[in-house]
Amino acid sequence: MKISVTINGALYEREAPENVTLLRFLREYVGLTGTKEGCGGGECGACTVLLDGRAVNACLILAAEVDGASLRTIEGEAQDGEPSDLQKAFARRHAVQCGYCTPGMVMSARALIERNPKPSVDEIKEGLEGNFCRCTGYVQIIEAVLEATGQPATIQEGSHV
Amino acid sequence: MLHQFNYLAPRTRAELHGVLAAEGPAASLLAGGTDLLVNIRAGLIKPRLVVDAKQVDGFSGISWSEREGLVIRAAATINQVLRDARTAIDFPLLVACARDLASHQVRNRATVIGNVVNASPCSDMAPALLCLKARAAISSKRGEREVPFSAFFKGVKETVVAPDEVVERIVVPAASKGARGGYHKLKRINGHDLGVVGVALCVDREGEMRVAVGSCAPTPILVEGLDAAAPADAVVAAVMRAISPISDVRATKEYRAHMVEQFVRRLVDEVRS
Repeated sequence: MKISVTINGALYEREAPENVTLLRFLREYVGLTGTKEGCGGGECGACTVLLDGRAVNACLILAAEVDGASLRTIEGEAQDGEPSDLQKAFARRHAVQCGYCTPGMVMSARALIERNPKPSVDEIKEGLEGNFCRCTGYVQIIEAVLEATGQPATIQEGSHV
Repeated sequence: MLHQFNYLAPRTRAELHGVLAAEGPAASLLAGGTDLLVNIRAGLIKPRLVVDAKQVDGFSGISWSEREGLVIRAAATINQVLRDARTAIDFPLLVACARDLASHQVRNRATVIGNVVNASPCSDMAPALLCLKARAAISSKRGEREVPFSAFFKGVKETVVAPDEVVERIVVPAASKGARGGYHKLKRINGHDLGVVGVALCVDREGEMRVAVGSCAPTPILVEGLDAAAPADAVVAAVMRAISPISDVRATKEYRAHMVEQFVRRLVDEVRS
């Protein structure tokens, strides 16, 4: 079927089978490979994108379902080659190690700070609970979101993440 | 790669009912997709047709009326319920259960109705809906019927809903408005996880206490008709008589029974404090 979708402000029209997930559609039919497949079953959040402003797992949605919708992916963060403030905060706070979870993590953080510009540590944990990182231990990621939202970016020593 | 199927998004109830009547078990209804696509991917379900219920006229959102109560429609997501200010005040138990369901991303897609029609014993919304005496409004080409959730679940992943039927609405009766209570869910990890056990308890405005338990029987279990002033031991005894936990990959039956007792005692304390 023909699927028309706006991604990061640009309209894409592609012919794709009806059983293709949004994740596969983005990666293989549109060529936007920043969105990653981790578990493929809604557990890990590596494929998080924003669908009409809300964070969702692209692996659990059919491309057919988003025909006519508006999406944002990690490719929409940087503008003219300049990383977004959120991406810069991730880099400055060492919130990236292997980097595989980072696109999903940034998109969940983006959705969070758009609805809550000054999230508390607990609110950040809730906003990012669907995103697994197996490298960092999460502390640096939470600090990055604090920094990106203009808050003191140090989590108390020994506090449970 | 997903199993091959066709996709259809009907716009009207009549069209939806017609498709379901014609296709029967070969069609799978899609709402949030957070269970369906996982099951298709795992090869557990092989539908010929996936029927998206989200675009049917009148299937979106939640609403409130004094006469009927809270109406949760087929496409209403867990986060829509969770973030509804009125629901948080009138039906705090619904919000407590919704908050414990999966992750933020899943809650943005998963629907309340999807969570109960899949009839998992560990459904997070079932305990709230059982405690609040909610009903499922089921329709098909043949007509409409309402089934209370106490008679909705037939077994593990089995409900009274026939292949040509759709659960269009959940009605939480106005009489349950203001019921106080809470939900405790035991998970293996601090993050999002399926429940090892889940216990919901409420006391309604008439002073009736009800307890619902997930993951301790083939279906979510309701214990009703308890006196709000009953001793905690009596509440525990009534709940323990109703459940039949098993040992499986997530916990032993002894641990499940132990944690149900602990949660019931905590919830009784909390609702009386």
